[in-house]
Amino acid sequence: MEGTVASWPPPAERALLGKSIKRVDGPDKAQGKAKYTYDIVRPGMLYGRILGSPHARARVKSVDLSAAQSLSGVRAAIVLADPADPGKSAINYQGEEVAAVAATTEEIAEDAIRRIKVEYEVLPPLATVEQAMSPNAPVAFANGNVAKPNLQQDGDVEAALKTAAHIVEGLYSTQVQTHTSLETHGGICEWDGDKLNAWVSTQGVNASRDGVAQALGIPQANVHVVTDYMGGGFGSKLGGDLQVVVAAKLAKAANAPVKVMADRKSEHLVTGNRPSAYAKVRAGADAQGKFVAFDAETWGTGGAGQGSGFPLPYQVYVFPNRRRSHRDVYINAGPQRAFRAPGHPQSCFITEVVVDELADRLRLDPLELRMRNLPEDAPNQQWRKYFPIGAEKIGWSKRHPTGDGTPGPIKRGMGCAANRWGGQGNRQTRASCEILPDGGVTTRIATQDIGTGTRTLVTMITAETMGLPMEGVKAAIGDTSYPFAPGSGGSVTVGSISPAVRVASENARDALFAKVAPVMGVEASTLIAKDGRIQSRTDRSKVMTWKDACKQLGTQPIQADGAFDPALASVGTSGVQFADVEVDIETGVTHVKKIVCVQDCGMIVDKLTAESQCYGGIIMGTGFALFENRILDRNTALMVNPNMEWYLLPGMSDVPEIDVTLIDQDRGVVGLGEPPVISTAAAIANAVANAIGARIRKLPITPDTVLAALEQERAGGTA
Amino acid sequence: MPRRKDEPGFSRRSFLKTVGAGSVAAGVLTRSPGAEAQTVNGVGPGAVPISLNINGQTHRLEIEPRVTLLDALRTRLSLTGVKRVCDRGTCGACTMIVDGKTIYACSTLAIETQGKKIRTVESFTQGTVLHPVQQAFCERDGLMCGFCTPGFVTAAVALLEKTPKPTPEQARRALDGNICRCGTYVRVLEAALNPGGARVRRAALDGSAEGAQLRNGGHRG
Repeated sequence: MEGTVASWPPPAERALLGKSIKRVDGPDKAQGKAKYTYDIVRPGMLYGRILGSPHARARVKSVDLSAAQSLSGVRAAIVLADPADPGKSAINYQGEEVAAVAATTEEIAEDAIRRIKVEYEVLPPLATVEQAMSPNAPVAFANGNVAKPNLQQDGDVEAALKTAAHIVEGLYSTQVQTHTSLETHGGICEWDGDKLNAWVSTQGVNASRDGVAQALGIPQANVHVVTDYMGGGFGSKLGGDLQVVVAAKLAKAANAPVKVMADRKSEHLVTGNRPSAYAKVRAGADAQGKFVAFDAETWGTGGAGQGSGFPLPYQVYVFPNRRRSHRDVYINAGPQRAFRAPGHPQSCFITEVVVDELADRLRLDPLELRMRNLPEDAPNQQWRKYFPIGAEKIGWSKRHPTGDGTPGPIKRGMGCAANRWGGQGNRQTRASCEILPDGGVTTRIATQDIGTGTRTLVTMITAETMGLPMEGVKAAIGDTSYPFAPGSGGSVTVGSISPAVRVASENARDALFAKVAPVMGVEASTLIAKDGRIQSRTDRSKVMTWKDACKQLGTQPIQADGAFDPALASVGTSGVQFADVEVDIETGVTHVKKIVCVQDCGMIVDKLTAESQCYGGIIMGTGFALFENRILDRNTALMVNPNMEWYLLPGMSDVPEIDVTLIDQDRGVVGLGEPPVISTAAAIANAVANAIGARIRKLPITPDTVLAALEQERAGGTA
Repeated sequence: MPRRKDEPGFSRRSFLKTVGAGSVAAGVLTRSPGAEAQTVNGVGPGAVPISLNINGQTHRLEIEPRVTLLDALRTRLSLTGVKRVCDRGTCGACTMIVDGKTIYACSTLAIETQGKKIRTVESFTQGTVLHPVQQAFCERDGLMCGFCTPGFVTAAVALLEKTPKPTPEQARRALDGNICRCGTYVRVLEAALNPGGARVRRAALDGSAEGAQLRNGGHRG
C-alpha cells in the first residue's frame, strides 16, 4: 500500500509542494485580526510591569514596595532581587529585574513602578572588553572577567606559514546586535487551581512550558502554553522567559490573570543579543593561491557571564593548518542569546574579508581565489556551482580591482561571500492528523509559526497528502497539548515538522483508504487521493469524492499519529551572496545597490515563503553590516540607544534590490531561516573595500568607519 | 496635536516640544489656582469622559488625559490590529489615519483626537472582501510574523488614497516611517505598487459576487 514507506510525491505529481503558496494566515494578519500574545485580554486581567535596575553593576540593599502597594488599582507587588539573598541581590547589568507590580491598568502599573524605593550599593561596572581585560579592572564576575583560553589546533600553523608566499595580518571585529523583535518578550498567566495556563510570545511552546515550570517549581504537566501568533524572536525566545515567570507569580499573588510584556527599552537590555567578536588573524597562501594556514587569537563578549563563541575560520574554504585560541570576556551588559545563525555572521565576515585581502596580495580575482580553495561538491556544499551563478547575476565580469578609479566622490564596488548551515530536523517530532466524517481534516502539532510560515507548511503538506485544496485542511499549532515539536531555533522547524506531518497525514489517509476500499470494491493499495477525490489507480471508473468517502466513517473520525522519518528530511545547506555597493568617500555613506543570493535548502516546501526568508535574512544582514550597534556608555555601561530611533534597523529606503535564486534539490527538507543572514555583511564589507580601495575590518560600516579606513589607507595602508 | 507622519518639515524635536506642552496643559493646570476658569485643556489627571469617532462609529469612554490613542484603542476598545512596538513614534506599527493623514497613535493623546475621523486597519475590509492592498500583501507575501503588517497596510492605504499610482520613490517615502524586523520590505513595496490585480480591485470595490469569491480563501499563489 502506498504510504507504508514514507516518501514525498514525485516532483511531477506535486499539486502544492515546491510551488508558491500564499500564507493561510495572511488575511488575518493583513486585517489586524490575528491575535498575538500582546493583544490577548483575559477576563479580569491585570497589567504587570517589571522594575529594572538603573545601574549596570550594583547590589540591592533594600526594596520598599509600600508606596506602590498603597496606590489605588495595584493588586500585587513582589520583590525579585531579594536583598537578603546574595545570589539574587547582585545586579550584573542594566535592566536586571528588581521588583514587579500588577495593576488594573498599564498606566497605574507604570505609576506603581515609579513609587518603588530601592537602595543600591553602586559598584564600578565593566563597560567594554578592553576594560574587562585590563589587569587593573575590578573583578566583576565570580570566576574572573575573562575565561580561560580555549585552544583548537589542527596541523602545524607555524611551519605552514613559513611556506606561505603571502601572509595577511590584522584585527577584525563585529559589534553587539540586539534581536529587536517587534513583539516584545512576555506572556499572560492565568491560574486554574494549581494548573497554569500561559499565552506566551515564544519560539518554543514546549521549552517555555519546561522553563516556566522549573522556575516556579511546579510539574511540567501543570503548565499549558499557547502561542497562536508571535511577533518575531530570531533566537531570543527559546526558553522560559522571566517575564512569563513574573506574570505567573503576580497572577498567584493577585489571584487574577496577569499580562507582562517587556517594554522596548528592556527588550534591548535584557532579552538577548548577538555577542561581539574580535579576532587577531594571521593567514597565508602559497604562490599558486592555495591557502596554507589560518591562525587566530579571538575574544568577544556575550555580556554578563555569557559565552561569545563563534567558529573560525569559517568552515567553507579549506585551510589545511588551523590554530585558534578563544577567550570569553564578561562585561556588565545584558546576556547574549541565540541570534539567527549564532556565530556565523561574525565568522563569515572575518574569514571572507581575510580571503579578499589574500586575493589582493596575490593580485588574483577574489572569486578565482575562492574557487581554488573550496572543498569538493556535496549535496549540501555546492559553492563551486553557486559562485559562478551569482557572479553572472551581479555582473562580476565588470568588477574592477580594489579601488574604484573613476573620478568623483561616489565609488562603486562588488564583493561576495559564502555560507553554510545545518538545519537538521529533530527526530523526536510527532504530529497527529484527524479526518472527520464530514470531510474536515485537521493536523495538530506543537510547533509554532514565528513568521516563517509554519502554519502554512503544515496545511500544505496535509493538503498535498489528502489531494485536497488548502481550504480543505486546518493546521492546529502553537499548543503544548499537541504532539511534540522542537523549538523554532537553528532552522530546524521545517525539517522537523514536514516529515512528521507527512507521515501522520499518510497514515490518516491510508486508514481512510482501508475504510472505503471495500465499499468501492477495490484493493486499498490501488487507491490514490487527488483533486478532492479518492480513486483507483488501476480502474478509473472506481472513484469517490472526498466528502462521500469520509461519510463512510459514520460517527467515528480517523485519528492517526506520525513520527519523524529521516527519509523525508536532509541536512545542511549552502549558499553564496554578492553585493554591489556605492560609497561616498566624502561623507563615508554606503548605499547597497544590489544583493544577489543563490541558496539551497534541500526540497523546497513553499517557494513563496522560502524566498521571503532570503529577503528577510539579507535585510537583517544589511542592518548588521551598516547600522545596528548596541552602544554602551564607557563609564556607566548603560545602553545609549535602547530604542528604535537610535538603534538603527534598515528601513524601506535602505533596502537594496535583492535577486534571490533558490535551488530546489532532490533530497529531503532542510531549514532555511538562518543561512540567508550569514553572508550579507561579509559581501557588503568586501564590496565597500573594492569601491574605496581601503580595507574594512570592523562592523558596522558606519560613515566614520569608512572615513577612518580611508584615512588609514592614506597614512600608509591597512594591510 | 496628533503626530503627522507626512508633515513637511516635521522633526522629532518639534514633536517632543508639542507633546511636552500638551501633557503639561492636560496634567498640571487643574492644580494651579484659577485653572478651571483658564482653559478647556485643564482636565485630569483623573479619568475624564471623551468621545472618539473610530471607523465611523462613536465610542464614549472614561480615560485619563495621558492615555494615548493607541492604548485607548488597544486596551479600552479591544481594537488590537495596530500594535505597540517602539512606543515613541519611530516604527509605525501603530499607524492610523486621522482626518486623512497617517499618524503615530503611540505618540498621540486620545483626548486630542476628539472630533476627528480616526480610521484603523480594522476598517479596510468590505464585508469579507479584503481591501486590494491587503489582498496584495497576501499575494506577494508582504508579511511574515505580521506584527508590523497592520501599520504597513494602513500606511499603504493612505498613500494610495492620496496617490493612486505612486512611483516607487513615492511609495518608498510613504512607507519609510514603518519598520519591519523580519525584512518584508521588498514585497511590501511590490504590494503597495500593485494593489490587487485590476480584477481584484474592481471586485473588491464594487462588492460583487466575484469579489466575494476572492475573499479569505483562494490560497493558491
